[in-house]
Amino acid sequence: MNDIWTDRLSEYLDGELSAEERRELEAHLAECPECSATLDELRRVVARAAVLEDQPPTTDLWPGIAERIGVSSGEAPAALTDLDEYRDRKRAGLGRRRFAFTLPQLAAASVALVVLSGGTAWLMSRAARPTESEPPAAEAPAAPVPASFVSTEYDAAIVELEQILAANRDQLDTATVRVIEENLMIIDRAIGQAQRALAQDPASTYLHEHLVGTMRQKLEFLRQAAEMTGAVS
Amino acid sequence: MIGPDLADEVTQDVFVRTWRKLDSFRGEAAFGTWLHRVAINVILGRRKKLGIARERFVNGEKALGGLSQKPPGAETAIDFESALATLPEGARQVFVLHDMEGYKHDEIAEMLEISSGTSKSQLHRARMILRDYLDR
Repeated sequence: MNDIWTDRLSEYLDGELSAEERRELEAHLAECPECSATLDELRRVVARAAVLEDQPPTTDLWPGIAERIGVSSGEAPAALTDLDEYRDRKRAGLGRRRFAFTLPQLAAASVALVVLSGGTAWLMSRAARPTESEPPAAEAPAAPVPASFVSTEYDAAIVELEQILAANRDQLDTATVRVIEENLMIIDRAIGQAQRALAQDPASTYLHEHLVGTMRQKLEFLRQAAEMTGAVS
Repeated sequence: MIGPDLADEVTQDVFVRTWRKLDSFRGEAAFGTWLHRVAINVILGRRKKLGIARERFVNGEKALGGLSQKPPGAETAIDFESALATLPEGARQVFVLHDMEGYKHDEIAEMLEISSGTSKSQLHRARMILRDYLDR
């Protein structure tokens, strides 16, 4: 089995043939069971490759590197531990996500964060110092800042953005996408830490501000990523 | 490429080399592309030191010709990952970068200093070899 189309099967699989070539190859596939079988096997190879795991170092490499570049090896850089999370995401099928969203979506998300941030500050100020115009008896209970509300609205905005990730995936080079993913992972980790701390200390003004600030950082990062794709300006 | 026993050592070399050459990164290529180029140079340097000849990318047919004639039943002797390790250097690098790491052909071409067409042909030949080592 080796006809003129055999060597084009990978290009077909990767979507790199022209429309005309694709039509010709598909017509050929309909009549050539051998090429069809080969194509199926190539698909399986690609699928198999996608789930192969990187082999981690057999030992901690950081002490040796630290010694050679003349820095303290007391603590491994955060990136090393982040790597495990990256691999988990990759295994979960999130490793190759790309970012694409529209300006209205970004604007909506930005507005949501501004409102939430303002709302948080407002609630904080109310909880911290009752004003003269507000009799204490009439004041609402000093309810904790609704972190779940903040989180729900924010998550909805992010989810909405991420639901259309694939649209402009080819606008960024792979290395850039990786940098974006890794930075988002770090930001997500910071958000997670802030949320956990907030669960322990719901009345902490600092933690609320930190959480909102980190969320805003993520949104800004996503906005910059969108600018790089050319989807927004 | 260099064997698992040396992989950790070379990984350290890559990190140290990158650290020392950071000021030479001018942003003309994506950082990841530049980093891969540094890594490849470190690996090739190590291979040269070990006396391992580099197989040429440009002669894919010659480089891959031997493996495509695997002995009958060989697929039962080694698994997919082991087969991947036996691919010629050029085919393996393209396969890893494209199918495992998700890089595009033009990015791979820049990293490996080959043409995009060579990257495509190396990838196809690597896949054609590896399909014989899929789980049945």
